[in-house]
This record gives sequence, C-alpha cells and structure tokens, in this order.
Amino acid sequence: MDRRTLIKAGAGLGLAGHFGLSAPAYSQGAAARTLKFVPQANLANFDPIWGTQYVVRNAAALVWDTLFGFDEHLVPKPQMAEGASVSADGLTWTIKLRPNLKFHDGSTVHAKDVAASLTRWSARDSMGQMIKAIQQELVAVDDLTVKWVLKKPYPKMLMALGKNSTPMAFIMPERIAKTDPFKQIEEYIGSGPMRFVKEEWVPGAKAVFAKFADYKPRSEPGSWLSGGKHIMVDRIEWIVMPDPATASAALQNGEVDWWENPITDLVPQLRRNRNVRVDIADPLGNIGTFRMNHLTTPFNSLKARQAVLAALSQEDYMRALVGDDNALWKPLPGFFTPGTPLYTEEGGDLLKGPRNMDLAKRLLAESGYAGTPVTCVVAQDQPITKAQGDVTADLLKRIGFNVDYVATDWGTTGQRRAMKNPVGQGGWSMFHSWHAGADCINPAVYIACRANGDAAWFGWPNIPSVETAVDEWFEAPNLDAEKAAIRRLNRAGMENVTYAPTGFFLQYQAWRANISGVVKGPLPFFWGVSKT
Amino acid sequence: MFAYIIRRVLATIPVMAVVALFVFSLLYIAPGDPAAVIAGDQATPADVERIRQSLGLDRPFLVRFGEWVWNILNGDMGVSIFTNLPVTTMIKQRIEPTLSLMVLTLILAVSIAVPMGVIAAWKHGTWIDRCVMGFAVLGFSVPVFVVGYVLAYIFALELDWLPVQGYTAFKEGLFPWLENLVLPSIALGGVYIALIARITRATMLEVLQQDYIRTAKAKGVGQRSILFLHALKNAAVPIVTVIGIGMALLIGGAVVTESVFAIPGLGRLTVDAILRRDYPVIQGVVLLFSFVYVLVNLLIDLLYTLFDPRIRY
Repeated sequence: MDRRTLIKAGAGLGLAGHFGLSAPAYSQGAAARTLKFVPQANLANFDPIWGTQYVVRNAAALVWDTLFGFDEHLVPKPQMAEGASVSADGLTWTIKLRPNLKFHDGSTVHAKDVAASLTRWSARDSMGQMIKAIQQELVAVDDLTVKWVLKKPYPKMLMALGKNSTPMAFIMPERIAKTDPFKQIEEYIGSGPMRFVKEEWVPGAKAVFAKFADYKPRSEPGSWLSGGKHIMVDRIEWIVMPDPATASAALQNGEVDWWENPITDLVPQLRRNRNVRVDIADPLGNIGTFRMNHLTTPFNSLKARQAVLAALSQEDYMRALVGDDNALWKPLPGFFTPGTPLYTEEGGDLLKGPRNMDLAKRLLAESGYAGTPVTCVVAQDQPITKAQGDVTADLLKRIGFNVDYVATDWGTTGQRRAMKNPVGQGGWSMFHSWHAGADCINPAVYIACRANGDAAWFGWPNIPSVETAVDEWFEAPNLDAEKAAIRRLNRAGMENVTYAPTGFFLQYQAWRANISGVVKGPLPFFWGVSKT
Repeated sequence: MFAYIIRRVLATIPVMAVVALFVFSLLYIAPGDPAAVIAGDQATPADVERIRQSLGLDRPFLVRFGEWVWNILNGDMGVSIFTNLPVTTMIKQRIEPTLSLMVLTLILAVSIAVPMGVIAAWKHGTWIDRCVMGFAVLGFSVPVFVVGYVLAYIFALELDWLPVQGYTAFKEGLFPWLENLVLPSIALGGVYIALIARITRATMLEVLQQDYIRTAKAKGVGQRSILFLHALKNAAVPIVTVIGIGMALLIGGAVVTESVFAIPGLGRLTVDAILRRDYPVIQGVVLLFSFVYVLVNLLIDLLYTLFDPRIRY
C-alpha cells in the first residue's frame, strides 16, 4: 500500500465516520486485473475500415480478429482461418474458418460474415482494391468456407489478409460489414479477445475493453498477430493523455501501467525510476520523409530534387528527432525498412558519404531554378514533422532556395497536400511526414513508394521504371526474384527521387515493473501481458 | 426586476445568433479538412473526396448553416464527425469535470483572494501588502501549465499525496473527487486569485478613504466590522464584476489545465475537436461556453442589487 492510498484510506474512514462520505474500497485484486494503458493518440473513432489511423487499428486488434495474422517474422499465419488453399491456376482461393468462433453478441462467425467484411475492406485498402479489381466473385460456399475467385492470380493474397498495415482485414458480423465503407459503423461487435465497452467510452479521454469469455485462442504460441491471443487481465483501460509530461508522471506514480510512446526527452527520467522499464517499442521503427511536389516548380525538375538529396544530412534530421541517443536511429539510403527481407541500399549513393553542398548548388543551377518560392508546409502540432521541417528549411536556404515556410497544423497539412494547384494558388512544394516501418516492408502496403502519377501518393511522382519494378515484385515467384525487383525499384526511386527519406528511427515504450509480457512490435500486443 | 430578467434572457437570443453565425463562418473559411484527417495518411485523394461527400462537407455554406441552425432550434446539436456520437452526449460526458474544476477554482479563488486583497488594503504600504502584490504579479506572470507541472512534481511525484492526473466523478465520493481536483484548481486559480486580489485591494483602498469609514472609526466601530461589513460591502460591486469577467479566464485556463492534468473535460474536448476539425463539436461547445458566459454576466448584474440597494432594474 503506498503513501497516498494510506492517506486516502485514513481520510476516507474519517470522512465516512463523521460525515457519511465514502472513498472507494481499495482492492488489490481488482487493480491487478485492470491494465491501464496510455495510447499514442486519442481514440476518436472506432471503425478500423472507415478511419485508418494507427490508434484505431491498435484498438481494433483487440476487438476484431483477422483470418490471417503476421507473426514476428512478417509471415502470415492462420488466425480465424483453419487454413487456405489456392487452385493450380492461382485463380481460386478457398479459405476455411475455424468452427464455433463467436462474435461478442453471442452469434457464431459464419462465412457470409467473412465475405461481407472482405468486401467492405477491399473498398478501402490498397491491396484490397487490387484484389477487387481482378475479382470475379467472393462468396460463402457454406457456413465455414469462403471462395474468392479472381480473373488473374494474386500471389500476395495471404499477405493482404494478414498484414498489420491499416486498414487490416478485420472480420465483422455481416449486418455491420454491409455498412458503406465510407460511412462509420455504429456497432462495435467483433470476435477478438476483448469486448469494447461502449457505455464507458469517453472519446478523447478513455476507452475500456473487457475480456471476452467466449474467445477461443489458438493453440500455437502467440507471435504478434498470430497464434494464441491469451488475455491475462479482465479489463484494459486506455487513458488518453495529451501531455507527455503528465503521462510520464502518471507512469512513475503508478497511476498507469504502460505508456505506448514516451518522448525521447523524458526517457532518461523514466529510466532512473526503479519501478519503470523502458525498451524499444517497435523494431520496425519509422521512416522520416519529406515529399516534393513533382507537378510544380521547382521540384518538377529532377535536378532540383537531386540537389536537395545531395545536401541532405540524415544525421541532422535524426538528431532533431531523437537527440543524442544513437541507439534510436540509423541512416537510410533507401526506401524500405532496415532489417526486413527486402531492404536494399541499391541506388542510394546520393545519400551516402559527406554531404556535398557544391554539387547541390550546381544541380540547382542546372535545374534552371529562378528563385520562385518553395512552399514548405510544416505541421507544428506533430513533433516529428516540426523537427524535420525546421531542418529542411535551413537546408533549402543553404542550397539557395527561396523558402516560404508555412507553419500550420496536421489537419491543414492533410487538406493542403491534396491540392494540385500551382504554388501561390494554394499549392505546395513540399510537406513532411513519416511512415511506420511495418508499412514499408514491401510495395503492396507502401503507397508512398509508388510513382504512378495521378494515382500516386501526394507529390504525384510519375516514374515508369518504379512501377515496372512494382509489377515485377507482385509477380515474383520467390524471395530472390522479389529482392531483385525491389533493388530495381529502389534504384529507380532514388535516382528519380520519388521522395526524400530523412532516416530510420525507433521509439520507446515504457511500463511498470509489475507488468510482464510486453513485446516489441508494430502495435501494442496485449495478449500475454499480465500484471501483479 | 422580473421583467428585467426576462428582457435579459431574451437578449441572449440575438447574442447567441451572432455567436453561432460567427463560429460557423469562421470554421467555414478556416483551412483544414476533417475528411483528410479521417482518411489517414495512406488515403488517395479520391477516398478523401468520397468521405467529404458522405459527411456533407461539399454542400454550400448556406445549406449547411441553415440545417445546423434548424437542428439547434430543435435541440439537436448534431453528430460528431469522428466519434459518430451526438454532440449533446459528448458534452454531457465532459461537463461534470469542467464544471467541478471551475466551481472549485471559483470557491478557492474567492475565498483566498478577497481576504488577501482586504488585508493588503488594510496593511497598505507594509510588507504584507508588498507580499500580496508580489504574489499577484507572480500569479499573472507564471503560466498555468508551469504551475501545474510544479504542483504535480511536488505533491504527486515527490510527496505522493495526490494523483498526477484524471478525474473521479462526484458520485464516487467527496474525497476522491477532491483528490483529483485540488492541484488543477490551485493551478488554474493562480491567475484568478491574482486578479481578484488586486481589484479587491484597489477598491478597498478607495473605500477606506471615504468619509463614512472615518466616521465609523470615530464612533469606535471595530476594525473587523469596518473592513468586512462597511468597506467590503461597498467595494463588492467592482469585485463581483471582475469575478464575472474572469469567467472567461477560467474557461480559457480550463483548456490548458485539463490537458496538463488529463481531466476529461470540455476544454480538452474543444482542443481535440479543433485539431481534427470536428465542426459540429466545435460549434456546440463554443455555443455552450458563450451561453454560460452570458448567463454568468446576467447573474453578476443581478448580484449588484444585493450589494448596492441603490441599483434598480
């Protein structure tokens, strides 16, 4: 019992005795069965298909389950599915469900629920859209069997169904899954290991999940999104804390158990507390980026884009993001996540070695740049974009660009980056962002590495050689062929500057010493986490 | 008097109408797009546009404004773009923490600041006066969040007397309720105490120079009676006025205080809604704050008659 509890108990007893006022009874058992978690952001909505923010995905992974799930080696393993088979011509996928899986409303999970869920998911997900484009039919053959017939083979099917990038292919009851994918669902019924307690949801402050008694974990050991999802607590409370200093103090004080992403500045303080453990959150980390607008001057010129890359020091960016902690970052002369099978530095020479300001200035001169303002959009309410934006503004000025630094917020950045107007008419030249490393492991889930013009991500790079390599990767029969395709993609993307990677960085997570079972991964995995 | 109250309550209608038009227009012309926030980082421009259409954000200003006003008149503040919950539900969820924080701060501030100001005026020119004024300058100068961090560090982390964050509903018991609100109220009350203490002191100094105070002293009335019965009552009108005006300080301060102490109140709801461009929530909360502010000022006007019987409506 800590000092405050003792005081509270004393005061509560005194007040109760004298004035009939009560303090809640102290219950060690109940406290140990409730895990209090501080998420990375506010859970503002709870439809993992309609809203694709990571925080929604993370919460949704508790409530909804998937047919397949990535394990820690990024291999899709059966989860709700007993297994899947594909016809010899690669056109018909047959997926068999595990029997007697239950939704939180007590109904049994049927194949028709799966078909409806996959239909809704495929309208919003990039891989799903590819499958939908070649879909002949998606039907429930019987209660436990789904058949997905395609017009051409799609070898990455299981990856699509098991991936952890948003939106994940979560399975919902048919009546819910029939909701327009561009409208929010109104019931939060899944078949995952936890139920969402909607009555206790205070958006922006608190979300509560209760253990689902009828959940049937798989027999295999849990590994990220695959295997047995054994929940060791009765209740998980997500407590939203917008202020990192408050979250840090709350963790040190034992008011919360687990903080998803402490900011680097506070980590030394947390490490000094013997009741707190700190470790890397996600070994797949993040890739810092800024994107140049390929449609407008000056970055419609390849030479101008190359000028920026020639002078860009990733160390400057990473120091601005993570400070002096060298364990938290590494240079990234490529587009793919370090440590994953497809990582390559092919073609990344312009980002390696000492920075060459003379080359940058020469390239800029050769681009014909005539001093037009470079509208550098920087969201100030996101520490990662703010830090990167400040470094970029300085870099551009040193190269010789005329920088128009637009300090704004993330909401405005989201609107402005979609505009294709010329600079001066609401358009933009560059904006900053970052991608979760888990989303940068292959081109299927990595929309930012694509260069298919109008269909590409903001900045709209049009680089046919990149797209050729993407196609080659999709059709690659084995890992070696995939690697070869990705090397070509990386080279083409680097030489033509699809976008500018500013480095690879990791973030921490922190938890109380009485919590065990916390693993590193692209999202917080609550299964296997216990509290004493 | 009754007719006056009715007139004043009716006068709030055009005020609220202007506020409604102003807030709606401001949000309409402000940059930012909730559809882009909802769609997320991986969305295509087509996805964003489709979401914008599904939310009705592509419709003309007048259509949207007219529909919103009509719904408000029918008691419907709309549905949050993000949570899909009615704005009234979200406000109901959040109103108790904010109300608790503001009421406790008000009680704390008035009960500390008024005696401080009276004593400072009484001991004018002494070290006590200088201390009170020094505190007032400090209260004005130090931002709420700094006071909040310092209090949390000392009383929560170091002494372990109080929690760092959160809110416990009043129905859970008086002590747990107070436990969560003490530090935020002190942090938020700093500016308010400074403001009221300074005004009390200045007004009291003026009143204490009046002839009737000198007469009371000459008649042998005790110091306490002079200060609190004769002088303070006559100084009350400006003090009460400042307390009313200071409600705006409390509302603004609550936004920061609720963030620092992770209190799930209306202040945080407002900030979250603004950052995400959740228009119905912003409009609802701002309208509510405006209404409360107008009502508080009406209450202050009515209180004048208690302190100064010469005032008649």
